[in-house]
Amino acid sequence: MVEVIANREGLGCVNANRLALAASELFANICSHGYKDRMGFIDVGFEIYPSELRIQFRDFGEPVICKSQLKGRELDDVRPGGLGLHLIHAAMDEVHHESLDDGNLWTLVWQLNPKGE
Amino acid sequence: MLDIQMDRSDDGRVYIRLEGLVDFHSSPALRQKLHPLLTPDNQEIHMDLSGVTFMDSSGIATLVEGLQWSRAQSAKFTLSGLTEPVRDVFAMSKLDTVFDIVDALQK
Repeated sequence: MVEVIANREGLGCVNANRLALAASELFANICSHGYKDRMGFIDVGFEIYPSELRIQFRDFGEPVICKSQLKGRELDDVRPGGLGLHLIHAAMDEVHHESLDDGNLWTLVWQLNPKGE
Repeated sequence: MLDIQMDRSDDGRVYIRLEGLVDFHSSPALRQKLHPLLTPDNQEIHMDLSGVTFMDSSGIATLVEGLQWSRAQSAKFTLSGLTEPVRDVFAMSKLDTVFDIVDALQK
């Protein structure tokens, strides 16, 4: 779905991959950390504006309340794990998170104009 | 879907060709195949990624295990044939200068 929208908006191959990567990493992160690999619902919404794309993920898992949980690890230490959040932040222009009483709301923002798309 | 083809020569060189998506779902299968190869018996592992259309952090993490093995064993762990999107993921991870990345495998 993300790739379809990326292609429709004329993003190139690398940028479409970045968008798909960020969405995929966030999805995996919610499954692992929000739901701890249990069954659960994730509502995904897309908003397309002339200047930006927004992808929202609403989960009903454990609310993230500690800011340090929202950061990727430092990359100086080459080891497996912890890359997902770093890649989300690296791929997207903005990443917003809101802790709710019953879960989390995540918003990924991709600016269209500065990249010339 | 991820297709994993392996070829091991008698002199301890292993060639692995991946085709498809290396993601959250398929990385455990890759790890399962790669892990038994990370022994002192093998001196070189070459991963041909020319058929990889998507790679996420779990795929990168699996390859980092190969990198760590190569450092611990003074062995070679080489990646080749990275497509533009996959190379971009390595660059965003700041691992493009850490791995031994070549254009094509030298058999």
